[in-house]
Amino acid sequence: MKVKGNLWWLVLLLFIALFPATLGRISPYYNTVLILVGIYVILAVSLDLLIGFAGQISVGHAAFFALGAYTSGILTAKHSISPSIALLCGLFVSGLVAWGIGRAVLRLKGYYLAMATLGLNAVIVKLITGFASITGGASGLLNIPPFQIFGLTLQDHTYYYYFVWGIVILVITCCLALTKSPFGSTLIAIHSDEEAASTLGIECPKYKLHVFVISSMLAGVAGSLFAHFMGFIAPDDFDIFTSILILVMLFLGGVGTIYGAALGAAFLKLLPEVTYRFQTYELFFHGLILILVLIFLPKGLLGILTNVKNRLLGSGNLLNPPSSGTEP
Amino acid sequence: MIDRSVLLQFLFSGITLGSVYALIAISLVIVYNVSRVLCFAQGEFFVFGALTMIALTALGIPMSIGFILTIVLVSGLGVVIERLLIRPVQNSSVGMVITMTVAISLCLRGLGLLIWGREAHTLPTFTKSKALGIFGAYLSVQVLWIIAAVAIVLLIIWLFFEKTLLGLSMRACAENRLGASLVGISVWKTTLFAWAWGAALGALAGMVIAPLIFVRYISGTMPMLKGFTAIAIGGLTTVGSVIAGLLLGIMEAYTVGLISSEFADAIVFSVLILVLLGRSYGILGRTEDGGM
Repeated sequence: MKVKGNLWWLVLLLFIALFPATLGRISPYYNTVLILVGIYVILAVSLDLLIGFAGQISVGHAAFFALGAYTSGILTAKHSISPSIALLCGLFVSGLVAWGIGRAVLRLKGYYLAMATLGLNAVIVKLITGFASITGGASGLLNIPPFQIFGLTLQDHTYYYYFVWGIVILVITCCLALTKSPFGSTLIAIHSDEEAASTLGIECPKYKLHVFVISSMLAGVAGSLFAHFMGFIAPDDFDIFTSILILVMLFLGGVGTIYGAALGAAFLKLLPEVTYRFQTYELFFHGLILILVLIFLPKGLLGILTNVKNRLLGSGNLLNPPSSGTEP
Repeated sequence: MIDRSVLLQFLFSGITLGSVYALIAISLVIVYNVSRVLCFAQGEFFVFGALTMIALTALGIPMSIGFILTIVLVSGLGVVIERLLIRPVQNSSVGMVITMTVAISLCLRGLGLLIWGREAHTLPTFTKSKALGIFGAYLSVQVLWIIAAVAIVLLIIWLFFEKTLLGLSMRACAENRLGASLVGISVWKTTLFAWAWGAALGALAGMVIAPLIFVRYISGTMPMLKGFTAIAIGGLTTVGSVIAGLLLGIMEAYTVGLISSEFADAIVFSVLILVLLGRSYGILGRTEDGGM
């Protein structure tokens, strides 16, 4: 059964790899859509580390997305620094800010943590808007160059597609490895009962801080990829709606599984491609679909996928989600 | 040097904003305390209140009747939402509940777009009289209506939660849901009532401010966030959130007037974070860690 599961993954990977050469060639628009899907997969997966595994609710993930995007954007557009170095700087700045505020903010729990992170997102977006001389303010930061690596400019969307999805697969692999490592088990222990975990000698604040920094750094990478893809970023791209969107992606796909987050991100980013046909009804149907999924599929879209697969393959474990003990 | 009348003007607009924040904060507090759900769709009740009232007035219905009708309609909406959508996820994780209320908010916003379109709407003032001039500053009579609304609401809430059996059972639920159910209180019924209250108060906030602002289907977010800030500062009590809401409004009016509007929001939300952190370190009284 293990072999069969891997086979399915191979099919999915092959689909991603061959997409630009086949369907993407017919309609290049979908290449750009899938690049954005990839960026949001990174965001949702990184948030899953924080929420699904460590149990720390954040409604401010877009703040770190913004820090990565603006660091990378400002360094390349205004100071002509190489994008690959700028990406690393974006990662570093996001991580540094997370590290600086993490210890204090992560003392909060539940709704308090949610409100504090929401506030943090609002503060960062308003500061970006306010310091217009550096960031371009509300009208946005212009002329961000496309990504370059080893002297090769990834202006063509097909090249950039492979670059982004390469990073996406790297991020997913690393996150899966992380969650299966002793570090991941520690996070799950903190999630299920923080007091019990600290009684066992686990330094909860330290581990919570570490996962917060890792998650924020990944969001920073996503921000940098986004900035170089769009060529233009504005504070609106990173406001609390974006944070809420990432949170919704995570719970839609299924929390605490990594795969679920990726699935939710893809679903929610592709949904408008269908619902835009309803025009003014779009927003309503968007909300309605979310409500229906949340009520009827409490384990998210991954849950239904696992069910279907179990029916088809008997007990085969295609997506191999970790034990249900990680559900918050 | 800034003129004294200008400073007074800022105070008036601060009190106006603050009263609205206070009403929204009370609505959030009642819902949270009874049902342990922080509703991210509360801003939509604000918008629905304002826009329903505007639509009814446009139909030629007298304002007093439109007012009551709007309260009834929106609190009905709150009840339906609680019964059909919140109850299935009530016992899930905080993240799941937040996601559900976000989904509800999107759905309501879509509904608002379908009913009222993309345009901004406004309402005539409740009474047609000129603005009052006080020491060179102007005070719209509508502001007096808003302040009166807050005062009356506080009085009704006090009477309801102190003197009626339903109010007392809601307080019992807020203290301890299990304990309340053990002594024979129907927790579900009180939760339903809490949502009716919450929706009605959100709608009231929208209705009283509607003559002074333009309301669109997406106007609910900022008032809701300010409401969150007020309840975080006010410590989840009705009186605390009213005071916090007013202070927040006044602080915002002065920073907008004297510094800039971008930094006003940055300052307000920094205060939110600092207050939350202060509370987690036990500086501002409550040391409750896991509660919320």
